[in-house]
Amino acid sequence: MTVAIERSRERARAVALVRRVNFAVIVFLALYIAVGLLQPNYLEPAGAMNFLRRAAPLAILASGQLFVLISGGFDLSVGSLVTLTVIGGSMLTANDPSKTWETIAVLYAIGLFVGLINGAVVAYLKTPSIIATLGTLLSVNGAAMMWSGGSPRGYLPDNFRMFGRLVFHDVPVIGIFPLAVAVLVVVCLLAHWALHGAVFGRRVFAVGDNPRAAELAGVRVEFVRVGVFVISALSAVTAGVLLGGFGGVSVDVGRGLELQAIAACVVGGVQLLGGRGAVVGAVAGALTLTTLFTLLTLLGLPQPLKDTAQGIILIAAVAIGAWRRRRAV
Amino acid sequence: MSDQQALVPPPAWRRPPAAPPLLLAGSIALYVGVALWTGETRMLETDGVIGLLQRMVGLGIVALGQTFAIIAGSIDLSVANLISVAAVLASFIMQGRADMMLVAVLIVLAISALVGVVNGAIISRLKVNPFIATLGVGLILQGLLSASFTDFAGSVPKEFQLVAYSTFGVVPYSVAALFALAGVASFVLWATRFGAHLYAVGGNAEGARLAGIRTDLVTIGAHVVCSLSAGLTGLYLASRLRSGAPWVGRDGVYDLESIAVVVIGGTLLAGGRGGVWGTLAGVLLFATLDAAFNMLGVSAYPKLVLRGAIVILAVAIYTFRTRGLTA
Amino acid sequence: MEQAALALEMLDITKTFPGVQALDAVSFGCARGEVHALCGENGAGKSTLIKILGGVYRPDGGTIRLDGREVAFSHPIAARRAGVSIIYQELSLLPHRSVAENVFLGLEPTRFGVLDRRAMRDNASRLLRRLGSSIAPDTLASDLSIAHQQIVEIAKALAIEARILVMDEPTAALDRVEAARLLDLVRRLSAEGVTIVYISHRMSEIQAIADRVTVLKDGRTVMTAPLAEAPTDRLVRAMVGRDLADFYPPHASEPPGPAALAVRDGANRQLRGVSFELRAGEIVGVAGLEGSGKDALARALIGDEPFESGTMEIGGGTAKPGHPRAAIEAGLGRLSDDRKREGLLMQQSVRDNATLIERAFAPAFRSPIAGSMSPQSTDQRLIKLDVRAASFDQEAQFLSGGNQQKALIARWLARDPEILIFCEPTRGVDVAAKAAIYRIMRDLAKRGRAILMISSDLPEIIGVSDRILIMREGTLAGELPGGAAEEDVMAIAVAHDRVPDAMAS
Repeated sequence: MTVAIERSRERARAVALVRRVNFAVIVFLALYIAVGLLQPNYLEPAGAMNFLRRAAPLAILASGQLFVLISGGFDLSVGSLVTLTVIGGSMLTANDPSKTWETIAVLYAIGLFVGLINGAVVAYLKTPSIIATLGTLLSVNGAAMMWSGGSPRGYLPDNFRMFGRLVFHDVPVIGIFPLAVAVLVVVCLLAHWALHGAVFGRRVFAVGDNPRAAELAGVRVEFVRVGVFVISALSAVTAGVLLGGFGGVSVDVGRGLELQAIAACVVGGVQLLGGRGAVVGAVAGALTLTTLFTLLTLLGLPQPLKDTAQGIILIAAVAIGAWRRRRAV
Repeated sequence: MSDQQALVPPPAWRRPPAAPPLLLAGSIALYVGVALWTGETRMLETDGVIGLLQRMVGLGIVALGQTFAIIAGSIDLSVANLISVAAVLASFIMQGRADMMLVAVLIVLAISALVGVVNGAIISRLKVNPFIATLGVGLILQGLLSASFTDFAGSVPKEFQLVAYSTFGVVPYSVAALFALAGVASFVLWATRFGAHLYAVGGNAEGARLAGIRTDLVTIGAHVVCSLSAGLTGLYLASRLRSGAPWVGRDGVYDLESIAVVVIGGTLLAGGRGGVWGTLAGVLLFATLDAAFNMLGVSAYPKLVLRGAIVILAVAIYTFRTRGLTA
Repeated sequence: MEQAALALEMLDITKTFPGVQALDAVSFGCARGEVHALCGENGAGKSTLIKILGGVYRPDGGTIRLDGREVAFSHPIAARRAGVSIIYQELSLLPHRSVAENVFLGLEPTRFGVLDRRAMRDNASRLLRRLGSSIAPDTLASDLSIAHQQIVEIAKALAIEARILVMDEPTAALDRVEAARLLDLVRRLSAEGVTIVYISHRMSEIQAIADRVTVLKDGRTVMTAPLAEAPTDRLVRAMVGRDLADFYPPHASEPPGPAALAVRDGANRQLRGVSFELRAGEIVGVAGLEGSGKDALARALIGDEPFESGTMEIGGGTAKPGHPRAAIEAGLGRLSDDRKREGLLMQQSVRDNATLIERAFAPAFRSPIAGSMSPQSTDQRLIKLDVRAASFDQEAQFLSGGNQQKALIARWLARDPEILIFCEPTRGVDVAAKAAIYRIMRDLAKRGRAILMISSDLPEIIGVSDRILIMREGTLAGELPGGAAEEDVMAIAVAHDRVPDAMAS
């Protein structure tokens, strides 16, 4: 009889999981169609590609944040790291296109450093990641302000901005293909492989599920923790490079992005206590959020209220996720 | 939080030495040391010390409230934005008129309490993680505020400015008020059922529930206290700055720093233990650090970078000593 | 015909959860002051039944009567107010609060709106004295030993004048002496008229204190009888459908091989002068009271709280692992005593749990299902150990205790360690799975492994081990052959001539 019980429970669970991941995809598609009804060119290939281009930074951030969340932590410093990337990019290139590639290399190095610090503080100093990364947020923002002297220069050279702006034309079937979308695809594939197709990913799940058990089984928990924060930081730099191509250089570029990334993951089915999640979910969540914001803008929501909307969405996403988890068990 | 501690730790678990006396001694040593080293000996005179205590008030009041939230096993990251809202609203309603003072204060406190109820309800009824819930509410407040105000709003009448500026002889009203509030808070935590229930819910929410305690009401109560304290801080800042502006909360980094001082004062981030005097000792430490930076001539932006590092270090030292396994 | 109404009657209780029928017309009753034992395998329905009694769940059908009056509890506090108090296995004390504050949780007395701490202290002392304990009411709960915490839990239950006390595996974390004291306490409360429902897997305890016994199986009452008609083998057969005689596998028939592990003068903060050898092919049991250091010994061997001095030889070469990872590399494995906190990845699949160690050591970028981590080879191992699950993709939290334990054994066998340490291997495991685990241990020994078994369950140690090491106060106090008498083991563990009298077996 116990086998029958377990089998029916398992079925319920499988259905819930499928529903959860597909839920984000379904919600995304529903919202996107709503947007398309308001603004028909979203339904055309060119419009859709542009949408993906605009959604790419958030999706990349969410893919990186995913690792930290699954390991049971939070990385609240990614927004400030994006800001630092953009400001640093403009300061280092000083509008000279020949410096772009080395600048990008330096920016990744900075990102690596920040990720290592985050990871080390959480892993070796045993600080809760919320506090640690909030502190990093402060410091990185301060560093960005210091670097730019409070008034950032407004320009980035064109070849830096191409990651965000460049669009290949005359592509068969889809018409245009933005470089940003290519970057997004590459990042997603890498993330998917690292999380689901490599031993490292399983260690991340283990650490998030039960760090003590993982340690006793021989997992080097500290390395895993440092690893996930490095991944998150590198994704932030990538997103920053893309965002640098979108608009001007300002100190607000990254504000609130960490919460958006977390919200995206939660909408996509990631569990905030660790141990559960998938790349598909994170990306679906990011697309859903971007669609939602597009919808709100089309409906005429003023810019400041975007924060309010974000807050409501964040709470709603987590609340719904918690509710569905209670139902499934 | 991500990792549950063992329900009852084995007896071999050692408690770190009490934080408040350590912090107190450390702060004094730091302050005196830097003053002597930079030659700013006037900081050691009455005026200087009073100035140091005055610096504690803003963070101190909101940290008292945050203590309640953290003891109950929760946390409040919306305080910075609520402080801004309170400051701006107070100043806006008063419009420099003394007869509007009482009305403004009542409205601000009412709204603060409401925000506390909302925070507590989202956490206990919707079962949303406290970090996310209060971050979200903070965002909502921020959006509403910047949609309505972009600059200083209204002004505060002179009578209200007395709150921040007058003194009982040598001791400013505000410092006296801070310690009075701390006394009340300490009494509530030690000698009332509500206080006992706060510790219970923070220590073992399920056990508290099974014992018949209305855990959702306790959580809401803790958040109301915390939000009210944020409202009071906003009122104080409006009085001090003579007007309220939408950035006062953010600039003061009240959310992160209030959590940090509560934690280094000995209150467990997971809840169930801690107290008011530890928090104040933590506030003193931060005020001392700030004063030390000023004496050493550190300018604004580097201060920001250092502040972040200090917060991390302070919490890290504390959790390192108690050896959590949290993420 | 009963003259007085029964203190507690549960009649035809039925409870269904989505997809599961947890209870099917379960009935039993207790007279006032009776000690009623409730037993059954995990999943038999005991915990659902007491949660219904405690007001945590509401039954789908049936009635509950207290002293003849029908009651229905909508919330745990209603049950408490009616005099029903449940002490769950998971202790619910607040670690950072005092004993008095814990005892009066939710019932704090007040004077003029303010907490009346003096009343709390005095009443807590009164309750503790009634229980024969001299714990000071101002002690912090976290400073108490587990046994004392248990007493505080009982005081907490009594604070509300409980007439019915339900105890779920109260001696699971206690050693023999403390368990005996607890049983004395139970007898004392019973004599005072408190009705006690006692849930336990330990047959010796049931025989020692129960007046009547009820056995649940698959959500149904299979047997209710006075103790005289319920000897252990009849109980076991009712629970499991097999005879007790098959319970412990036979001891090793061949002499052991060379020393796989040798410790000389091992010492750290909790241990001193530990010297022993563990040979291939044998099962060595380690017995001892709580605080004797037997758990510390396991942790020292696997590098969790390593030896600070002394030598350790594994397979002939010196090694003193300073970290669990090093111990595993050296060929050691340990099944922790607390599988929930230190073993299982609850939300990961059974396969993920079973391959954890391999994945800890495989290169980070290798595929997680390559080589021995593949589903086929993992499933083979799980099937060989008879792990029962609807599917091995199922999350570990849905398995029964016994199957969880077996899955963890599969994990530790993945790297084929020479030495395996089992800590409390059958804690929280039902009778059938217990027998299976003993068989697994004996099989491993037969195939040349060296097995160390650390347990507070004395019959288990005596039944399974080839040799018994006894620890006392942080050092090895003596050694006895397997199958020794319990009194002899206890004598060394306690180092008194007199052995506590409440020990029946």
